[in-house]
Amino acid sequence: MVARMETLTRPAPGLDFRKPSKQRQIGIALGLIGLVLAVIAGIGNFGAAGDVADGTAGETLRWTFGLSVAGFGIVKLGIAVILVGILVRLWLRVASVKETMPQVKAPGDGTADPNGTFTSAWGKATATTSAPTALPIHKMARTMWFPMLAMGFMALMAGLVLALVASGESNPGSVASWFAWAQGTMFLGEAMLLGGIAFLLGSILAAIRDGGGEVQESVGVTVKTLKMPASAKAFVGLMMVGMMLGVAQFVLYIFVATGSSASPGAWFAWLGPLREVSLGVLLSSIVLALYTIGTALGFQFDRMKQIIGTGK
Amino acid sequence: MTTKTHQTETQSTDFKIDISDHGPGRNKPQRVGRKLVLPMFVMALMGFAGGLIVAIIRAAELSDNGVSDTTEVLKHVGAGFMFIGFAAVFAAISFAIARILGEFRAGGGEVQDTIGTKTVNTLKMPASARVFLVGMMMAMMLILVPVILHFVFAADVSDTLASLEQSEERFIVLEGIRRIGVAVYLVSIAFGLATIIKVLRFESIRIRELPAG
Repeated sequence: MVARMETLTRPAPGLDFRKPSKQRQIGIALGLIGLVLAVIAGIGNFGAAGDVADGTAGETLRWTFGLSVAGFGIVKLGIAVILVGILVRLWLRVASVKETMPQVKAPGDGTADPNGTFTSAWGKATATTSAPTALPIHKMARTMWFPMLAMGFMALMAGLVLALVASGESNPGSVASWFAWAQGTMFLGEAMLLGGIAFLLGSILAAIRDGGGEVQESVGVTVKTLKMPASAKAFVGLMMVGMMLGVAQFVLYIFVATGSSASPGAWFAWLGPLREVSLGVLLSSIVLALYTIGTALGFQFDRMKQIIGTGK
Repeated sequence: MTTKTHQTETQSTDFKIDISDHGPGRNKPQRVGRKLVLPMFVMALMGFAGGLIVAIIRAAELSDNGVSDTTEVLKHVGAGFMFIGFAAVFAAISFAIARILGEFRAGGGEVQDTIGTKTVNTLKMPASARVFLVGMMMAMMLILVPVILHFVFAADVSDTLASLEQSEERFIVLEGIRRIGVAVYLVSIAFGLATIIKVLRFESIRIRELPAG
């Protein structure tokens, strides 16, 4: 499984680093398709507003909900494809640096920096003689991103079908039940898609770490690696909380859908915001992942300058 | 600093670049991104917490008394807080992407400076980055205007059938606008990430040119 994922995120042998990225084009195209769906749903909402007085707005609002959330999901899928493209490009960059670094680095004075822990401008780091092995969380990210995206997309499409069924129902009891299923399923799908994106960002962090180690080892200098920053630890924690909330809202929607609640209206009143919070927390974890990528890149550029300047 | 577009195959040349004699450092959006990413992150968490608390209060009110002007007010206020959270978290993501782009721009220039190349070649802001910036601003408006209107309309609800219906109509329209705003934000984030791919492609090419000076 991991090996199969590697073929998607590592450049194929002989891939021309000069060629534009296919993933970039596919990702943008998916994003624009998702945007069109969300705009159609938005316009549907404007039409539904006029039907509030005669009590028929709900029918429209159920399909506009399904279509807009499906649109968001397709944009997120596009973002995931672009992140795969970033991973491929990161490895092509590693290949370029590996080839170039021996030619541009200073000769050095024959000594090496000592091994151990030190504090860099970007946080605590370690110095070792060989490249560090992958962290467990990085292995997990590389394994999980694809299944999460696949399951998320399937849940999203299943939820869209449920929303369309709910839209066509006229019996109030059936409508509430079908629509509860639709909302829970679609937001579980959304949470999984964001989880997949978060795992891809974790894979990017792993690629920066592993690539940096490979380059340093290949030119025979001390391998300096940034320790996991606090922002990365908070990223993992928030992502777990977000996923748990995503699953919890799904379970609670099923509880309401099966008629187990005496006042479904009151449940819907807080389940809607709860599902939004689950996505909000996942998005917050993505902020921290991106922040950590910025930090890791800053450390890496400093290390490149150090090797070029001192040769060690 | 001069601007040049190369047309040859083997250099950093399919790109529009700025040529200078020293690293250009981060540009203004990237400096802003570095400063604002964490404040926006904190604001997002506060918005989500506020939205959820209001929703729980509304659920209790619905359970006790059914639909009333109070539940309609809370519906608008809760959505307002929740989407302050979403606007802030999307802004934080955008600023974090700008911070990454800033590291590439500043770091790439500094590496060329350190090697002592004849010129420091830096990618000009690509079209995708401009779409990212404009999209982000449009999306921010599409979310924040409904947020403000949610609070305005919340203050306008009274306990009459006509008022409750009007409040519901307004909520549905604002929901539609917010959804379009969220989609535009997500697409602009996709363009921001697509810019990173372009920067990485440029860097892979430029790095191989460095030994030649």
